[in-house]
Amino acid sequence: MRPCNSLKLEFLKNWIMGLQRWSFSKKEMGILERKKAIKLSADIAMASARNGTTRWSRALIANAYSKHDKHLVSKGASTEYSRRIRSKKILKRSCRRIRRRSKGLVRERTRILKNLIPGGELMNEGSLIEESLDYIVSLRAQVDVMRSLVSASEVDR
Amino acid sequence: MESNPGTTETRSNLTASDGGQVTAFESLQFTDEIHRLILAPTTINASSFTALVELPPPQAVELLHSPDSTKFIAAKPPNVEDFKGSFRFPSNTSLIEPDARFSVFSGEANNGNENRDSPVSKILNSNLEKAVKSEPAETESAQPLVSDPPVEKRRIKRKGRENKVKGSTKKSKTAVNESSEDAEKLPYVHVRARRGQATDSHSLAERARREKINARMKFLQELVPGCNKISGTALVLDEIINHVQSLQRQVEFLSMRLAAVNPRIDFNLDSVFTSESGSLMDSNFPGLVMPVMWPEVQGDGHRQQYQHQWNSDALQQPVWGREVHNNYITPEKSLLTYDSSANSVTLQANQLKMEL
Repeated sequence: MRPCNSLKLEFLKNWIMGLQRWSFSKKEMGILERKKAIKLSADIAMASARNGTTRWSRALIANAYSKHDKHLVSKGASTEYSRRIRSKKILKRSCRRIRRRSKGLVRERTRILKNLIPGGELMNEGSLIEESLDYIVSLRAQVDVMRSLVSASEVDR
Repeated sequence: MESNPGTTETRSNLTASDGGQVTAFESLQFTDEIHRLILAPTTINASSFTALVELPPPQAVELLHSPDSTKFIAAKPPNVEDFKGSFRFPSNTSLIEPDARFSVFSGEANNGNENRDSPVSKILNSNLEKAVKSEPAETESAQPLVSDPPVEKRRIKRKGRENKVKGSTKKSKTAVNESSEDAEKLPYVHVRARRGQATDSHSLAERARREKINARMKFLQELVPGCNKISGTALVLDEIINHVQSLQRQVEFLSMRLAAVNPRIDFNLDSVFTSESGSLMDSNFPGLVMPVMWPEVQGDGHRQQYQHQWNSDALQQPVWGREVHNNYITPEKSLLTYDSSANSVTLQANQLKMEL
């Protein structure tokens, strides 16, 4: 299942816009900072290419909004997403009995998958699989775009 | 009939023990419901999911339009929790329980808001519905009937979420169809028992849920390379986890490379979305990246170098993964076309430089 070009284009557009915002704010950045900025804007771009239709994208945007610089993410959508995520987290935290024994192979792996996918802990098993499907497709598109960008920029050398 | 006071008592007990989750007012409402349900002719069949279908239509409609729907939902967790102890449920109770509680608070907390978590509530509905419907099979008390109206209501809400209808059946469920027309054509969950399979309602419920998850796992198996031959959920999940991890690591690695390659972070914004590249958007995606590099063209002499480098890059592709292969053949072609039309290329480069 190859990611379609429209998804990649959308991702690239969002990413460029995000990178533009970074350039306005800071001028001199070390390599690690730059890498973080690039990765972050790429992730947010991929998530916003989904336009809030999938849960992992909302969770990703909400996390990025709360943790990192806020100027990178647009205000309106992210606050709504973070509100949703926060209410979910409060619910889960207040009701769940903390049972950490993950017996069984499938359980263990489901737990690992939940940690991998952004916002995965808040989903139940069925939607987790659905979300991971979409997440894999988006990740693939992201990797493709970044790779071609890298090779394009390295042609110069 | 005599069980009614008992049920109301148990309900109030549950409400008390739940620490005020369900108010006394709601329990009063439920006593009315219980009365109505017990008086209505219900056929509690061991393998029938549709026991509560026998509700008279006006009652169903009232449930549908009742603004107190959240109160019904709020009553859910006491039921599920209580029944969990009464019979041994398969391991999905742990999955059901957080869902149940989640719907409680979502109903209470977001009363005025739209049903935002509809995907969750839908899955929740399916889980709880099956959980609750197993109750008539197991317990004889009238308490299961309490949960029927909310389940009925939820079933009404779940439009178009039908499970698959399997082939030969042990028990015919014509009652389903008849009452479905009676109850104003409400959609139903048609799950039939297959030959030689247990017809307990909770195992049916479990099987329906399992089938849904297995269908999704099949999609994932097609998506992740190398998963087609593996059988067994745990191994497939293993592969999926590996795939996701490798993709995430690739993203990190590539972003590091991008950061290393370019001194400025906005290295490629200059001309990508100008009007000039608008025409290039129609062509394939990598072609769009190509004009970005033209402002840095030193001269015509370098183009040969680029071509060689593209060739070597293309040769390196198989190392990275076969899926990336297609992406790299086309930039080569676009480079070749650029080579052939040298004049237009330099013209483009000049235009791009002007737009900077």
